Amino acid sequence: MYRSQKLALKYLTAAITLFGIMTVAGLMSAYYYINPDFLFGILHFNIAKILHIDTMIIWLLMGFMGAIYWFLPEEFGRELVGIKLAEILFYVFFGAVVVVAVVFIVVQYGNSDETALWFINQGRKYVEAPRWAAIGVVVVMAVFAYNVIGTAYVTGKVSGITAVLMVDLVPLLVLYLDAFPAISNMSADLFWWWWLVHLWVEATWEVLIGCIMAWSLMQLLGTSRRIVETWLYIEVALVLGTGILGLGHHYFWIGAPSYWLTIGGLFSAFEPLPLLGMVVHAVYDAGTHHMKTTNRPAFYWLMAEAFGNFLGGGVWGFMMTLPQVNLYAHGTQWTVSHGHFAFWGAYACGVLSVIYLVIQKLRSLTQVDGALWKWSFAALNLGLVGMVGALLVSGFAQAFIERAIGGSTHDAFIAGQSSPWFVEGMVTRFIFGLMFAAGYVALVWDLLTIGKRAPVLATAGAAE
Amino acid sequence: MSEIGLLQSALLLGVYVALAGSYGLVYTIARIQDAISLYRLSLVLYGLHGLTAIAIVAWTPLHIGWKGLIVASSAAFLAIPPITWRLLQRTHEPEVRG
Repeated sequence: MYRSQKLALKYLTAAITLFGIMTVAGLMSAYYYINPDFLFGILHFNIAKILHIDTMIIWLLMGFMGAIYWFLPEEFGRELVGIKLAEILFYVFFGAVVVVAVVFIVVQYGNSDETALWFINQGRKYVEAPRWAAIGVVVVMAVFAYNVIGTAYVTGKVSGITAVLMVDLVPLLVLYLDAFPAISNMSADLFWWWWLVHLWVEATWEVLIGCIMAWSLMQLLGTSRRIVETWLYIEVALVLGTGILGLGHHYFWIGAPSYWLTIGGLFSAFEPLPLLGMVVHAVYDAGTHHMKTTNRPAFYWLMAEAFGNFLGGGVWGFMMTLPQVNLYAHGTQWTVSHGHFAFWGAYACGVLSVIYLVIQKLRSLTQVDGALWKWSFAALNLGLVGMVGALLVSGFAQAFIERAIGGSTHDAFIAGQSSPWFVEGMVTRFIFGLMFAAGYVALVWDLLTIGKRAPVLATAGAAE
Repeated sequence: MSEIGLLQSALLLGVYVALAGSYGLVYTIARIQDAISLYRLSLVLYGLHGLTAIAIVAWTPLHIGWKGLIVASSAAFLAIPPITWRLLQRTHEPEVRG
């Protein structure tokens, strides 16, 4: 095994650990809505929420990095350039995440000054990490880019997938620099902040996961490189074509010029189109292989990715993306519902698929199957669907009562929050959150033990 | 936009895309299994998608431009599954021939 692949295992282990912390923080955040006195004066809702959304970003990022460190040495046929530096930086990265989390929990907040920005919290959603840690992220991503581009340069081997990946690493790194400015004009601040949040999530991350899925399909279904590269180009072009200017749907109500209403609405409306193509592609792949594979959990998570992306991004997104509807829906639990579903479908399912592929190779399993992964798959997906359904109901109540009827006054806000539709939606979300958490526990147990317990999971050695 | 108009519009827009996805899903399964009944079902689903588009145009208070976009998107949704299918067959052809 290459050192890069050993590093990949560390990244994937860290990703699964942070996935767990994200789940716990999510459950806590959900519980605050049911019992606002929970941990009163000890740990505020905003800290639990920061932990929830920041660990979500970091576990997915570490999952992507782990997947790429796993596939790349086989792609290049050699160890990655600068691997020692990457190994050191993994510990720095993980240590920094722990320190930042401890500061968030213990210190929580500071004054509105440079010291707080540097050492406590930058105060911008998703990129709350203080500046020193944000600089650390830049260094880690720069070394990651060096590993990929440097190895391609040394070997002189650039496949279609690695070419797309290398091009993508540039905006991935550059856009993160938007985490640093502290602009006092809120409109201007949000304008640039969305470049980071939207263009990471709906552009550069889409390309990253596209490259990872291309390698996964080659390994999982034996699809030829020519095919996956052709489809990578098509799908990346379509997703970027609609996703980049889809950025405009975040500019509707932040004080940006009104032409963004047209641009944002138009390109957002196009966004479900390539997702439908992905559904057709996924069903084609599943059908031509008669749902047969040597790694069923990886295969099912791959399918969940295509369908989750379509439902979460396409259906849930389209409900609220046109400006006339978005006027009432933005910033409510409706948006939260869309965010949960889209992140899960577009990225989390893909990372979980890769982890099962890695385990198959790591433990030399000829067949990966069993009962436990099905339980975790069902609990995680049903839990997620239940949560987004409940959040949608609560969001509808907010948009209807607080915004459309009440006109967004303070009294209307209270009326919306105390509506039975909203309250019961929050309780239901928490219950399905518990189901999701149970699915996580089953997932971890399965990942730790699969191939070691069931007799059907013959190892390659045993088969020989 | 009225309160009811808001919920109607949002739900119709969601159903509109969900039916397009259902059409694509069933269409692809029909082609894989060469099942005419499923193919007909896919057309029924697309028909429902079309009816949803008509409902959006007729009942929702969306501006005329967005309504035009809905109609144009329906045409695109109709074409995407067969086009994707043909492209898939073309790219996989050398493998199938072995």
